[in-house]
Amino acid sequence: MSILWWLKPRRLDDEDFQNEIRAHLDIAADERMTDGVDRRAAELGSLKDFGNVTLTTEAARRVWRPWWIEVVHDQVSDIRYAIRALAKNRAYSLGLVGVLGLGIGLNAAVFTLLKAIAFTPMAGVAQSARLVSMFRETTSGRDVAVSYADYQYLRDHDRAFSGLMGSSLATVGLGRGKDSRSLFAEIVTGNYFQVLGVRAELGRTLLPSDEIRPGGHPVVVISDGLWRRDFGGDPAIVGKTIIINSRPLTIAGVADSTFHGTTVVYDVEAFIPVMMAPDLGITFGSKETTASAILADRRAAVFFTQGFLRSATTFANAAAQTDALWKARSADRPFGDVVDTLRVVPFWKTPGGAPMILLPTLIVLTSMGLLVLLIACANIAGLVLVRGISRRGEIAVRLALGATRTRIVRLLVVENVVLALPGAVLGVVLAWRGIPVLVGYAESLAAPRRVFFNVGVDGLVIAFAVLVACGCALAFGFIPALQSSRIELVSVINSDASPRGGSRGRLRPGLVIAQVAVSLMLLVGSGLVTRSLEAARRTNPGFDGSHVATVSIDVKQNGYDEARGRVFYRRLLEAARADAGVASASLAAYTPLAFLEPPSRPVAIDGYEPQRDEDLALSSNTIGPDYFRTLRIPLIAGREFEDRDDEHAAPVAIVNGTLARRFWGGAANALGKRVRVGDGEWRTVTGVAADIKYVRINEPPRSYVYLPFLQAYRSNMVLYAQGAGPIDQLVNQMRAKVVALDADLPILDVRRLADILEGALLLFTLAATMLFVFGAAGMALAAMGTYGLVSYTVKQSAHEIGIRMALGATGASVVRRFVARGLRLGAAGALIGVATALGASRLLGTVLFGVSATDLMSFARALAIVLGVVVAATFVPAWRAARTNPLSALRHQ
Amino acid sequence: MTLHSSRPDARTDLLHGTLDMLILRTLQWGPQHGYAIGQVIRAQSSDVLQVEAGSLYPALQRLAKKGWVAAKWGQTAANQRAKFYRLTPAGKQQLLREESRWTELVNAISRVMKPAAAPGTEE
Repeated sequence: MSILWWLKPRRLDDEDFQNEIRAHLDIAADERMTDGVDRRAAELGSLKDFGNVTLTTEAARRVWRPWWIEVVHDQVSDIRYAIRALAKNRAYSLGLVGVLGLGIGLNAAVFTLLKAIAFTPMAGVAQSARLVSMFRETTSGRDVAVSYADYQYLRDHDRAFSGLMGSSLATVGLGRGKDSRSLFAEIVTGNYFQVLGVRAELGRTLLPSDEIRPGGHPVVVISDGLWRRDFGGDPAIVGKTIIINSRPLTIAGVADSTFHGTTVVYDVEAFIPVMMAPDLGITFGSKETTASAILADRRAAVFFTQGFLRSATTFANAAAQTDALWKARSADRPFGDVVDTLRVVPFWKTPGGAPMILLPTLIVLTSMGLLVLLIACANIAGLVLVRGISRRGEIAVRLALGATRTRIVRLLVVENVVLALPGAVLGVVLAWRGIPVLVGYAESLAAPRRVFFNVGVDGLVIAFAVLVACGCALAFGFIPALQSSRIELVSVINSDASPRGGSRGRLRPGLVIAQVAVSLMLLVGSGLVTRSLEAARRTNPGFDGSHVATVSIDVKQNGYDEARGRVFYRRLLEAARADAGVASASLAAYTPLAFLEPPSRPVAIDGYEPQRDEDLALSSNTIGPDYFRTLRIPLIAGREFEDRDDEHAAPVAIVNGTLARRFWGGAANALGKRVRVGDGEWRTVTGVAADIKYVRINEPPRSYVYLPFLQAYRSNMVLYAQGAGPIDQLVNQMRAKVVALDADLPILDVRRLADILEGALLLFTLAATMLFVFGAAGMALAAMGTYGLVSYTVKQSAHEIGIRMALGATGASVVRRFVARGLRLGAAGALIGVATALGASRLLGTVLFGVSATDLMSFARALAIVLGVVVAATFVPAWRAARTNPLSALRHQ
Repeated sequence: MTLHSSRPDARTDLLHGTLDMLILRTLQWGPQHGYAIGQVIRAQSSDVLQVEAGSLYPALQRLAKKGWVAAKWGQTAANQRAKFYRLTPAGKQQLLREESRWTELVNAISRVMKPAAAPGTEE
């Protein structure tokens, strides 16, 4: 190529080209004039022959432009035009952005939760979605942690894993005396941090060298949160000593700030080597007393183990290998007759893990989020359609000027995308500002326990929002845009403005029906959940917590052995009873409705022959005298535990009504029968207590056994005191009783029993709140959309109304006519909505309580609201149209 | 090539190629301005092919861009200013290529349409 070629103009010389066209026209005109036509006619004729000068120039320009510039140029001009057009129509644009933003925001919020579970279930751990959990499962589906000895065996022999660590959640006391507080800690193996790939932010993590000698590694790694909150981010923290369960531990390091432990919801603040657990009084249910014996005890339930599979190992392979290994290991049946298997599951399926608990709620939220989005999309379609109709003039002119239909559709679609992006931004902002509010709500409900939710708006969420927004805008803006472009040129130019052709098609009534149907479903859903929350609140949990103060302590946190512990609790109970403001006081191992499932223990029952391999295991509680009186739980038969039921008396037990009915056919028959819990002694039943809600407010009836504290000592107990006086005063008095007895004993938790009840409703409240937000948002959107579409239809018929009125129809009859028309559409939508909701509400079963999925009240309420909106949407504009002077309505058209 | 299309951006390679070839062919007899090129094609085709300005001028720009024609302002016989296009050497070569391809195409089509009477086929 010569240099000259490069110097040639790379773009059209516009002026030169216009001159050339002018020359062309002159020559053509001259030629006509020689045929005897006059100058003006000749000029017009040659111009007509030439055709469209602008288009020709445009085509000539395009020859010189590289293809990509042409594409970009068109887009840019489309976008510029779209922004201009949309800025002019502010109400429409803001409405659309708002609708889309709301829909996207709700979905982004749900997506954030789903993403956290699917991709990063464990904060601060790379590829935590690939983490695998291992646990023992008995034939009855009861899951049990493995002992430390078994863990060691698996770690050393299971070749399917690249590394296997163990951890166990524990509540420990930090500090001494009145400054002490309770926190979540994990008892971990030395390789815990290595397997998870978590680094230390300061100092070092725990290492396999911290797992050699029982009791020989008094170190602890603390979380970034604990370091900052309790130690003010002290840079010289490493090497300092903290007191945990009355035992000094040296801080070896601070874990990475993103890491919050492996329990998903609890915010773990300390990581303690398993070798130190027995020294801190944590015995994992073992009967042994020395540290080495506890760790060697194969009956102790210590760890849920976790690890990553080797890269070449498939899941099925790992499960098979582990199963074979476990069969060989447990061939000698160390756990009695109960057969168990070692299950290998993906981390998110860990039993009792937050993902498994949250999953049903998430599924419901996802479906509701999609419904809201669907409504938002229908709104968009409606708005685009209505706007398209009012832009028929503009589009017709564009078509007449030679724009192709593709070009017009492209313009309308670009307009939608221009609207979609601010919608996406609004949605992300909503999710970003809204999620912390929800998380804060959950945190305040869980206080003083610290919880952590691994949710945050990140690039993935933003990408999701943009994708969904553009998808919605394209899909739902395209069809109406296509309709708008399909215009009969002649009829529009002849200014016949009556909506005909594409505009009056089946799309608009279809949209109304769809919106009514979807919003009905949303309303039914949120109505059901709200009603079930009401039901949960109304539910009698079986005990009265309104005037009860609780103080949780664990005497082993200040080094008490059983003998000293018994003395301590006896004196504490005496002190509490002596208080003038206390009507009755008692002790118990577990608070009801604390949401945590207490470990169930194998049980043997008089006269019941368990089937082969049956694992009969029940939950139990250890309680002091006067427990039922203090919590006002009715006794159906027999008597309470009394002070005389001590270690020297005959072993006794109390069972609940369900157990008595299930095994002995009634409360009366239960007295005098015997039960055995764990590998303890046979106990005679002295009383039958009424059922209460033990763990969750929506649990089915369960069999339950109570053991007397004086015959079954535990170091961690909850003091209950019930009195008629102000509850806060009572709470403080009870705390003072503990401090008076031992000022150095950490107080784990002090609260009103009523607060625990409130916490039990946490999940319901959360789900109900979110679903209510969804329902309300969906309803607002649907109301807006339905109103817009219906009222637009009525407005379009101003002409028809005018004629009717001019011919003598009364205003009332006109209004009636339009309301009836609107109701027909509404009824069709409602019918579809009710049918779908009936089918879909079964999905809600898992989060519903005390209300059937086909609850008449919820359906009726939703129906009334939806039809009310439809009537209002038709009535108001029809009434307004009927009031206008028929002549002006006719003239206006 | 009816050239009555209302869609100036319709891209049909055959049409474009053919129009380009006709223009090059017209310029073989000497430099010519746009209006005249259109008239010549029309006259030579006995009014069958009417080249619209909307197609002609973009085509001339296309040819100029490819370097097959060069343009220069000048005077017509009637003493009017006009832009004259002439064939460049590259344009001449292109015309030869187009002609042979055209002949081939026409022969091929004729053989399909009238197998017996087609020229260049052996009986």
